[in-house]
Amino acid sequence: MSEIIEAKNLTKIYRRGREEIYALKDVDFLVNNGEFVSIIGPSGSGKTVLLNVLGCLDTPTKGSLRLNGIETSGLKEKDLVRLRQDNIGFVFQQFYLIPTLTARENIELPLLFSRKNGNRSRIDEILERVDLGNRSEHLPGQLSGGEMQRVAIGRALINDPEIILADEPTGNLDSGTSKKIFDLFRELNNHGLTLVVVTHSPELARQAHKMYTLSDGQIVRCEDLACRRFKYTLHIL
Amino acid sequence: MNFLTLAAKNLLRRRGRTLLTFLGVAIAITVLVSLLSLNSGYEKELNKEVNSLGVHILAVPKGCPYEAASLVMHGGVIPDYLSAFDLENISNIKGIDLATPMLMHQFIGKDAMSGEDVPYVVFGIKIDETKRLKSWWKVEGRYFDDNETGVMLVGRSLAEEQNYSIGTVMLSGPFKNFTIVGILEQTGDQDDQFHFVSLAEAQRVFNKKNKITTIAVKVKDVGKIAAVSEQLEKIPDIQVVTMTQIMGTIMNLAGSARSLLLTVIAIALIISAFGIINTLLMSVNERTREFGMMKAIGASGMDIAKIVLTETIFLTFIGGIIGTLVAIVGSNLIEGFVKGMLPYSPKGSFVSLSPELVVFALVFSVILGFLCGLYPAFKSSRLTPMEAIRSGAD
Repeated sequence: MSEIIEAKNLTKIYRRGREEIYALKDVDFLVNNGEFVSIIGPSGSGKTVLLNVLGCLDTPTKGSLRLNGIETSGLKEKDLVRLRQDNIGFVFQQFYLIPTLTARENIELPLLFSRKNGNRSRIDEILERVDLGNRSEHLPGQLSGGEMQRVAIGRALINDPEIILADEPTGNLDSGTSKKIFDLFRELNNHGLTLVVVTHSPELARQAHKMYTLSDGQIVRCEDLACRRFKYTLHIL
Repeated sequence: MNFLTLAAKNLLRRRGRTLLTFLGVAIAITVLVSLLSLNSGYEKELNKEVNSLGVHILAVPKGCPYEAASLVMHGGVIPDYLSAFDLENISNIKGIDLATPMLMHQFIGKDAMSGEDVPYVVFGIKIDETKRLKSWWKVEGRYFDDNETGVMLVGRSLAEEQNYSIGTVMLSGPFKNFTIVGILEQTGDQDDQFHFVSLAEAQRVFNKKNKITTIAVKVKDVGKIAAVSEQLEKIPDIQVVTMTQIMGTIMNLAGSARSLLLTVIAIALIISAFGIINTLLMSVNERTREFGMMKAIGASGMDIAKIVLTETIFLTFIGGIIGTLVAIVGSNLIEGFVKGMLPYSPKGSFVSLSPELVVFALVFSVILGFLCGLYPAFKSSRLTPMEAIRSGAD
């Protein structure tokens, strides 16, 4: 399997006066094409910073990052915008839906910026995929938390990205809805989409192929859950 | 979906605030359009009024020449008098085609409708000479003769208001028992409101023997008005006013009043612009996280600037349309207000709203929106996605 995300020695330093705060410290991070990776760790461990750096929303102080074979360091903002449009879909904890746009229009929004041709059937297909076919003309205020997050996932999918980066996508949802969102992620992954999900819930994190644990800006553990699940299955057999 | 739909839908988010901003822009544009429409109409109307005198030069008793000119045009009592001697002196000057004496006077009479005492204006004139000055005069009935007594002419509007017809005999006032022998056809100027009697009759009724208030002068060659008025000025005790001077001076005075109004409007526009900028900055700040999200899902800084600018221009353009419509509908009200502020106002309506002015107002509102939106657009486009998302992080 080829590597779609390849980060080496990623370091992110924030300065507060003379004090230097290491949000990330020499992080090596690999994600293969089609993999489902979760990142867990306590609050302030650098999970979100890592995800933002991986999504080119933030630049690392040191280190290199290759996305889909493209070296991102030194790229101009214009090129980073194009890279995000073509490769990455973002899902946030707070959904960030535009309250005056319907579910359909929120999903359509990225097309306004990417100038890709978003015909109606493509949007309908996404709506069906996130199971919102009958809620497409509702405003966010008329949707439940789980539905809003599904709209946000639909929005992340509309540009046909290679990777979905999700920051605490179930942080605002109850456990039943959270499970449904993770089921949706798994289904998307089964169709070949690469997923990197930051979560607080170890239970949900364990559904990924690979689980990284972050502490104080460093990766302290990387578990190959797929391999373990495979061994476990073998053991039972 | 496009940027315009996005802008329009976003403006619905804070309806109260959007409405107030619309109103701010609309008021500023209303005042601007009204003032500019009044400006061009004012000059046109003033020109018409001055020309309707049919006179090139007025000779009046010494005093404020413009007050006198204003009184001649609108009617009133000039507090001083010229004499037959002055008329003779003037008539002898070369280049003068006609110099006709007038005695203008006010009198109190009963209004036919309300029965109240109201002031009227009467002109004592030499009829043949006046007919030469005002070649457009036409009369229903007949003109009087200069030596005929007890007869008068009246203006059309006055006749309609007071129910005068040919043969009506005045029942009260200084002209009691005078018979109306002619009614002037509508002239569209101040003559429609006046009474006219022969000069001799006016002098007799008001006991102003040999006295006149104005000598209206028509020159042979319009190009020599300046030279003739120079000659006239040499005659003692008279004040010479050329129509060009009156126009120029009134336009100057009106110009000062207009400059003052324009300054007020400029200040109003600046305040309104800062109001819009403030509203936009508030709206941009509120939506920082949203802009961060948009950047994360593929928007460039330019896209964000475009969203903000589209919203502002949309806001000011709609405000501009409302403002222009209000100006078209309400220009008469504003005319009344402006008339009170001008040193001299022509009688007729001077609202002149051209299509060019409407286009200018709309273009102006778009430019206003663009200028107001620049800083908020620049500010929001410069945010890095991280800063934006973090700034609003819960």
